[in-house]
Amino acid sequence: MKFAKTLAALALGAMAGIALAVPAMSQDGKLIVIITPSHDNPFFAAEAEGARSKAEELGYSTQVYSHDDDANKQNQLIDSAIAAGAAAIILDNAGADASVAAVQKAKDAGIPSFLIDREINATGVAVAQIVSNNYQGATLGAEAFVEAMGEAGNYVELTGRESDTNAGIRSSGYHDVIDQYPDLVMVAQQSANWSQTEAFTKMESILQANPDIKGVIAGNDTMAMGALAALEAAGRSDVIVVGFDGSNDVRDAIISGKVTATVLQPAYRQAQWAVELADKYLKEGSTGMDEKISMDCVLIDASNAEQLETFALAE
Amino acid sequence: MSGIVLSARNITKAFPGTVALQDVDFDVHAGAVNVLIGENGAGKSTLMKILAGVERPTLGSLTMEGEPVSFSSIRDAAGKGIGIVFQELNLCPNLSVTENIFLGRDITRAGFHIDRAAQKRRAAELVAKLEHDIDPDALVGDLMIGEQQIVEIAKALAEDARVLIMDEPTSALSASEVEVLFKVIGELKRAGVAIIYISHRLEELIRIGDHFTVLRDGRLAASAPRSEVSIPWIIEKMLGAGEVVAKRPPAAPPGPPLLEVQNLTLPRRGQGLAVDDVSVSFRPGEITAIYGLLGAGRTELFESLYGLRSGATGSVRLGGEELAGRSVNRRMKAGLLLVPEDRQRDGLLQNLSVGGNLGIASMGRFTRFFSISRAAETPLLSQVISQLHIKTAGPDAPITSLSGGNQQKVVIGKSLLTQPRVLLLDEPSRGIDIGAKAEVFSTMRDLADQGLAIVYTTSDLKETHAVADRILVMAYGRITADLRAEEASDEALVRASTHKIDEPELA
Amino acid sequence: MSTVSATLKTAPAGNASALLLVLKLRTFIALIAVTLFFALMAPNFVSVANAVIISKHVAINAILAIGMTYVILTGGIDLSVGSIVGLTGMVAGGLLVHGIPLPMLGVIVYPNVIEVVLISLLVGTAIGAINGLLVTKLGVAPFIATLGTLYVARGAALLLSGGATFSNLVGRPELENQGFPVIGSGTVLGVPVSVIILIIMALVAAYVAQRTPFGRKVYAVGGNERAAALSGVRVDRVKIAVYMISGFCAAVVGLIVSSQLVASHPASGNTFELNAIAAAVLGGTSLSGGRGLIGGTIIGAFVIGVLSDGLVMMGVSEFWQMVIKGLVIIAAVVLDQLQRRLAANTRQG
Repeated sequence: MKFAKTLAALALGAMAGIALAVPAMSQDGKLIVIITPSHDNPFFAAEAEGARSKAEELGYSTQVYSHDDDANKQNQLIDSAIAAGAAAIILDNAGADASVAAVQKAKDAGIPSFLIDREINATGVAVAQIVSNNYQGATLGAEAFVEAMGEAGNYVELTGRESDTNAGIRSSGYHDVIDQYPDLVMVAQQSANWSQTEAFTKMESILQANPDIKGVIAGNDTMAMGALAALEAAGRSDVIVVGFDGSNDVRDAIISGKVTATVLQPAYRQAQWAVELADKYLKEGSTGMDEKISMDCVLIDASNAEQLETFALAE
Repeated sequence: MSGIVLSARNITKAFPGTVALQDVDFDVHAGAVNVLIGENGAGKSTLMKILAGVERPTLGSLTMEGEPVSFSSIRDAAGKGIGIVFQELNLCPNLSVTENIFLGRDITRAGFHIDRAAQKRRAAELVAKLEHDIDPDALVGDLMIGEQQIVEIAKALAEDARVLIMDEPTSALSASEVEVLFKVIGELKRAGVAIIYISHRLEELIRIGDHFTVLRDGRLAASAPRSEVSIPWIIEKMLGAGEVVAKRPPAAPPGPPLLEVQNLTLPRRGQGLAVDDVSVSFRPGEITAIYGLLGAGRTELFESLYGLRSGATGSVRLGGEELAGRSVNRRMKAGLLLVPEDRQRDGLLQNLSVGGNLGIASMGRFTRFFSISRAAETPLLSQVISQLHIKTAGPDAPITSLSGGNQQKVVIGKSLLTQPRVLLLDEPSRGIDIGAKAEVFSTMRDLADQGLAIVYTTSDLKETHAVADRILVMAYGRITADLRAEEASDEALVRASTHKIDEPELA
Repeated sequence: MSTVSATLKTAPAGNASALLLVLKLRTFIALIAVTLFFALMAPNFVSVANAVIISKHVAINAILAIGMTYVILTGGIDLSVGSIVGLTGMVAGGLLVHGIPLPMLGVIVYPNVIEVVLISLLVGTAIGAINGLLVTKLGVAPFIATLGTLYVARGAALLLSGGATFSNLVGRPELENQGFPVIGSGTVLGVPVSVIILIIMALVAAYVAQRTPFGRKVYAVGGNERAAALSGVRVDRVKIAVYMISGFCAAVVGLIVSSQLVASHPASGNTFELNAIAAAVLGGTSLSGGRGLIGGTIIGAFVIGVLSDGLVMMGVSEFWQMVIKGLVIIAAVVLDQLQRRLAANTRQG
């Protein structure tokens, strides 16, 4: 129905679009500003939604923005948050170095920042930095992969954008586990830039060069889905696929037996936790925890896939 | 009263394929107006460009006050005291009057800091000297054409020119602006500046000229002081004797009027009228020449007839069908066709073959089931290629492989394939050699004999007599004469071409 | 004796024209060269299956490049094609998954696959028409007009799902809308449907460009817009038509991509426009308009495709792939300049 609504909105023109885009404002209660990289990626959308729902549950008003991975835009959004007199900022930042000054500016204005998903290269600036343990998650995924492969066989790795820190961390997490098994041989390693289309075409080519593969391990779920489509097009239902993120698409593929496992970054829960910490900090003057908080990832496989919904695992 | 400040001896300038100037001597007298006269293509502009340092002579020498000189560039010539006011204004409309005057030679402090105050003061002085009240800070684009001309002159004077070349300075000016200009010229003369003055307006020349030099076909035709000069003398020297092309009489008498134009008017950009209430008709089998000076409104008349000027009002009827307000395409289908003057810019498709160019306006004639039928196309193309004697390796040869004359014939051939009833040719002989001209004119006669109404424009008097059955003269957007070719004397045509509306009627 | 001297005389001219021929066929020679290179260097490169896979990958870029070539031939550019790929894919995906709800009737209409395809093609063509109208009637520079629609179409694609993916586009038997994956993964006699679509579209596009009045007009508008107008060509109509063709081609690609993945993602098609422009330029299309062939563009697309796939099969890193692709494009343009200079010289001499 969302599709239908949007179709109608588009048809009605920009006016309707603007109406939908106006942030929800409530007059009473303190303001929490939530800034995430984008709203078109379900992962970041889950972050924003988790933070927003928890904040409203706790009686705060909210403003939700995205900085599109643009440090400059992030800076402007922080300025707006300061001007709006925000009580706290929940931020998935636009760059480990580029974001320090912006967070410092908020601190100087007396607004505490609670960082989620990504760290900044400074301590004592933000009140809390909650990050998923990508490395720990990758080792979980790799262990599931090794087990499904039976500790032997040729495999392919699709990595994320090579300039992205998480792409590197996940890849090293995979290899620290997989490389302990000499019978597992990586025959191809390609970057598919986190993209489904690119993963599809590259997987097709890799299959041509190396028809004898037994498994694919991908740096995120989007690429895992692209690889899966290529494998299905080639009639290769025997290949083991492991992803990372815990998207609904991969969850469905796990349920139908096409994908072995993925690793959930609990984006929704993480954002909620950040809001809870902010609430505690605003009321008691302290979160009662260290600034740097590492949140473990969860392996999703056939046993728990049913409980997964938009980056949140039902309890 | 005056010494010779600059003199040119035995100047010859050759371009690939043509010799623009041959063995020309020219003396420039200080404190006098040195008039240079000649038809279009006689070599006036080339000589002027050599004097101003734009071009270098192939042979010959220049001496300035007894010293041999050579100019490496227009800046070099300007540094030696030679200024030039071009016919097409060379001003930047987006810059102010002051900025234009000092463009490229800013008054600076320490070599880089522009001294705006000094520039503005000097600009105001120059403009005041020219008796004009133009704000030095005004944008040139906001000025009237006449005022822009004044800025252009101020620009030339800014460098204390001893020789000032003016190419058709009055072509865009109103009568009162012309008077101001003449006053300025008088003052410059008294200050000892030598003026080289180029114009087609014979009355003007007789009024202000001191020394006259006439060029014809790149050669010096005559040179004389004012006391020995009269308008008939100028015309005689300018045109010389002899015909360009042997004239062929029409095969049959012309038919009843085919293209009828009533009260056609086109506003000029800014102010005034480019075409001023023109009513005229053209008949099949007749060749009509429209003679006039640059800017007389001939091209604008053609473009209005062809539907390219949306501002045009009035009635255009072809065979009784009203065409006013119709698109180019509709007018073409009705049988009206324009062969544009600038074939490089408006006529040719450089990326297509000869055949592609010929067929582009008439593809409907060889389209079968949405496709171009080679079988239907080839005979049509071959026919027009042989009819016009186009020298080409074949329809598939690139258009760029053809000579200028043959390219012109391709543009005409393209029009013919649309099976027009009225053909408008804007300066059909521009930029092609004499042999090609003869062929183009002969083709025009053939087409008229086949029942087309042919109308062409020209700035060359000889070419009017050479082909036309009837000669119209345009000046200031109006038709000032409509004569049978045999009744039209050169003098009558030249006088009609400079005939201004606010002047008394000339006999 | 006479033959010898004649040969000697013509020798230099012969060398020049041989070089000219090599330069003219440069894209084709480049294609053969990269193919031979990978045949030697990449494992399993030479096989029917791999040729099929490469053709499938090339089809996506080549179909976009066909439309792009038409636009560039008129002297324009279409930056919006990548976004149209994304949007039309989303339209198709949305129609298959959610149908068209008619709230006043209280029903949801699920169009069948043929109707989904037609609607998506219509959407792409309509955006092309908007591009054309902006360029002609409103006089917006093509670069700016299509840059604008690039953003609008991408935004619309994201809005359709709120940024989410429409997945599992297989249709449901009870809705009678099955069969969508055939476009992307079906085959006829072993040839993928997308490759067949490419072949048909390339043949039609080449025919239209070379053998129809419309094609002539496209070249005429790109060669000299004023002269074309004076010859009675309705320049505006031709321009609107080429942008519509480009939008249509982009819609075809949008359908193929989402059908291959059996999912439509709003970000798909991102930067596809650059690959399409690269293919056209590599194939000898002049960005100033009026010069270029559909055949050249197809070969250009194959050079890029063989290069990308071959490098992946060799296991070359993504960074080097980008460097190599860029160098090939620069080399193509340099050789193009060289050819034109040489051609001009031979003509004069």
